[in-house]
Amino acid sequence: MRKNHAAEQEEADEINLTPMLDVVFIMLIFFIVTASFIKQPGVDVTRTDAWTAVKMPKANILIAITEGDEIWIDKKKVDPRSVREKVEQLLAENPKGEVVIQADNESTHETLTIVMEACKKAGVGNVAISTSEV
Amino acid sequence: MRRSVQPIDDEDDNEVNLTPMLDVVFIMLIFFIVTASFIKEAGLDVNRPDAPETNEPTDNLSIIVNLTERNEIEIGGRVIDPRAVRANIERLHAEDPSAPVVIRPHIKSKNELLIQVMDSSRQAGVYNISLTDPIGG
Repeated sequence: MRKNHAAEQEEADEINLTPMLDVVFIMLIFFIVTASFIKQPGVDVTRTDAWTAVKMPKANILIAITEGDEIWIDKKKVDPRSVREKVEQLLAENPKGEVVIQADNESTHETLTIVMEACKKAGVGNVAISTSEV
Repeated sequence: MRRSVQPIDDEDDNEVNLTPMLDVVFIMLIFFIVTASFIKEAGLDVNRPDAPETNEPTDNLSIIVNLTERNEIEIGGRVIDPRAVRANIERLHAEDPSAPVVIRPHIKSKNELLIQVMDSSRQAGVYNISLTDPIGG
């Protein structure tokens, strides 16, 4: 009888894990749902301030144009002629993706035109230029 | 004595061991937390006219903004300070509220200027902005 009492005591001491498991599962589901796996261009650009900027929550394909008019996609420098291929490839992975071009303040319009043309040829309907919010 | 101990042991054995599942769930949780990016991109939409005939805007009704090679903003043949673009577009917008803004950038103009003009135009209340093929290309 004494031993039985000890066993009961031990069971009462054990922590009930169920509420913690519930919380962990809810966190897991939240992070799975919000995970977007955006491929960052991997370069820093200086953006222009804009008062009327709109948030782009569906932005999935990011293309950066640096100060020296280099085009960067997915942490790699891309030749202007192969931008279209690269965008098509990313679009295939993410058909609902919107393109956001992160153009540096000092980059010229020529490169921006090349990128926009490539996006258009790759079949992207909506292209936006990234700005910083004031 | 034996009888009283036996059921407790049995119950313990029947309980599913949750530890390995917990390990997996925690590892998945950590993976998704680490890869979560929460990117907040803000930007301005740009649309370019498809038809090549819009290359040379002959429409007198639209507000044409030229961006020159020397990074100057020209509206109606006059060079305008970037801070005054909004006021100028507002004035032209008041004259003809249906007029869209057409930006004609030079290939050597900086993108900063383009965004400033687009932003000024939107601040002036003209959201119908289009971009022509660049000059000097």
